[in-house]
Amino acid sequence: MSVVFRMDAPYRGAYELHRLTFGSGSPTVSIVAGLHGYELTGLHAVNMLATMLRVQPPRGTVHLLPLVNTFGADEARKRWPFDDQDINRAFPGDPSGTAVQRIAHALLEHSTADVCVDVHSGAPHVRELPQVRVPLGGEELELGRAMKVPVVWRRPGDRLDATGLVGAWRLAGRRALVVEGGRGSTLDTSHSETIARGLAGLLAHMGVLPAGGGPGTLADVTHAQVAQHRADMGGFFVPEVRIGQQVAGGQLLGHVQAPVGGERLGELRARRKGIVMTLRAYPLVHAQELLVRIAELP
Amino acid sequence: MPQHHAIVTVEMPSGGDVPIVRHRLRGAQPGPRVAIVAGIRGDTPEGIRVATDLLRFLVGVEADLRGTVDLYPCANPLAAHRGSRRWPFFDVDLNRLFPGRADGHPPDRVAHALVQDVIGADQVIELRGAHPAFREVPQAHVRHRDPEAAELAMHANVAVVWSRHPGPAAASTFAYQLPGTIVLEGGTGNRLTAGVSRDLTEGVINLLNTVGVLPDQHLPFHWAALTRPLRVTDDKVVRVRAGRGGLFMPEGSPWSEVQAGDLLGRVVDPVQGGEGEPIVSPVSGRLMAVREQPVVFPGSMVARVVVADSPEASEGP
Repeated sequence: MSVVFRMDAPYRGAYELHRLTFGSGSPTVSIVAGLHGYELTGLHAVNMLATMLRVQPPRGTVHLLPLVNTFGADEARKRWPFDDQDINRAFPGDPSGTAVQRIAHALLEHSTADVCVDVHSGAPHVRELPQVRVPLGGEELELGRAMKVPVVWRRPGDRLDATGLVGAWRLAGRRALVVEGGRGSTLDTSHSETIARGLAGLLAHMGVLPAGGGPGTLADVTHAQVAQHRADMGGFFVPEVRIGQQVAGGQLLGHVQAPVGGERLGELRARRKGIVMTLRAYPLVHAQELLVRIAELP
Repeated sequence: MPQHHAIVTVEMPSGGDVPIVRHRLRGAQPGPRVAIVAGIRGDTPEGIRVATDLLRFLVGVEADLRGTVDLYPCANPLAAHRGSRRWPFFDVDLNRLFPGRADGHPPDRVAHALVQDVIGADQVIELRGAHPAFREVPQAHVRHRDPEAAELAMHANVAVVWSRHPGPAAASTFAYQLPGTIVLEGGTGNRLTAGVSRDLTEGVINLLNTVGVLPDQHLPFHWAALTRPLRVTDDKVVRVRAGRGGLFMPEGSPWSEVQAGDLLGRVVDPVQGGEGEPIVSPVSGRLMAVREQPVVFPGSMVARVVVADSPEASEGP
C-alpha cells in the first residue's frame, strides 16, 4: 500500500489517499471506491478483489483505491465533512484549490489506466442490485458485459457530468465504467461478493486474470427499458418484493400507507415483466420519489 | 519545556489516531495545579485561541511558575475539525456526557479521561466560546452558592460574573464535575471576535497570578487596566424572547445600555415583510448577549439583559 497524496488536516491526522498496486506492465486497470464516504459495499468489494489479487498475481497492472473519502467514511457521510462538498463533483480538481479539489486532482492523476472503474453503492435510503452502467456501445459495453453482474444498464455516455470522476476519465480518453450495488451506510456482503467477482470477470476479459465473473446477467437494458415506479403520494412505503426478484406485469410491488394509523393510501404495480433492480429502503417517502426501478424483460 | 501528553487517543475507523492533548507547564517552585480546558464543543474556537495564546505566554515564563498549569487546548478535536458543536457520527454533545465512561463510545471515553486527568487540580477553568447564534460579552459563570469561585472570578477581566443555578443538564456538564470550576466565555460561536480572546487571555493570566502560580513580575499588563465585573445571580439576568417566528433584526450591540421599554429589535416575517413585531427590553440594564443568527421560532431567545442596579455596571468594557 502506498500513500499517493497527503494533505494536512486541522485537529486530526493528515488526510491520506491510499493505493494498492498489483503486478506491472500493461494493460493497466484502476478501480476506485469510497468516493462517497458511506458507500461501503463497494469498498468491501474492492478489498475482496485485493485478496484475490494477492493469491493470483495479475498479468498487467491493477491499481486499487478502495477508500477515497476516508473522513466522510469515518462519519457515515457521503460528502467531504469539513465543507460538505462532494468529491465526485470536484473533477478535474485543482492542486491549489479547496480540499475536495485537491483530492480530485490527486485521484485523477493516480488512477490513470487503460480501463478505469468507479464503484458506488446506493444512497442510504435505497438498495441497488449490483449493476454496471455503460455507454450504449463500444468497448466499454463489452467490458461491462464481461463482468456478468445482474444488470447491465446501457446509458448515453454524454449524460455523465465531467465534474464527476467517470466523466473526467472519459474526457481524458480512458475507458471508464460505473459499478453500483447495495445501500449506503450498510454492508451487504453478498452484493460485495457479486461486485468483486464481476471486477475479476472484467480483469479476466482483459487477460489480466485467468478467470472470473459474476453470477450471470439477469437484464441487459437501455435507459428506455428501465421503468421508474414513483410514489403517487407521500407516506410510509411498504414493499412487497425483494431486490433481484423477477416480477410479472401487474404484480403488486408495494403500497403506501398513512405513517400514523396505517390506512392504505395507494399501491404500486409493475407495468411490465422485469427484475427489481432498485428498491426504496427508507420507508417514509414524499410524493414523486422513486420507490422501485424495474429492468424490463422481453 | 512543557510536557506534551495524550490523555487518551481516539482511533478512527478509516485509520489514523486523534489524540486529546495536555500541555503541562511546571514551575521550579511548588504551588497549586491549575487545569485549563478548551474546545469541549467543536464550535468554540474563541476558547481554543485563548488556550493557544496562553500556551505561548506560559512557555516563556515556565521556569518562574510556582506550581503547575495543565492546558488542554481542545477536548473535542473531531467536532472542532469541522466546526460543529457535536461530536460527529455519534452526533452527541460532549458537554452532556460527563463524567463519561471508561468502557463507552469514544466521546464517553474522552469525557472520562478528561475528568480523571483534572481530578486533583486546585482550580479548573473551562474556556468556551458562545453559541453560534449569539454575540456575548466576556463573562464568567460559576456555580450558585460557590462564593469562593465567584470571588476569584471577579479577577477574570470579564464584564459579568454570573452565579448560576444548575439547570437540568448540569450534572452532565464538565463545569459541574469539580467544585469551584470557573467557565469563561464570550464572542460568537465558530468565530473569533476582535478583543474577546485578548480580554479572556488576560483574564486567565490574572487568575493564575491571583491563585499564586504566576509571579507579579510576569503580569504583562497593569492591574488597573483590568475590567471590574458586574457580579450577578440568576434573578438579575433577563432573557428576552421572540413572540413569533421570523427574522430577528437587532438594534443593539453587546454591552450597550438599555432602558426598560427600549427597542431591542424586530422580528419580521421573511416572506410577507412588513414592520414586524417590535421587541422591547423589559428592564433597564446592559445587553449581555444579542442574537446574531436571525432565524427565530416563537420563544427563541433574542437577547439577554443584565439588570444594572449596581454602580459597578457602568464600569464594564
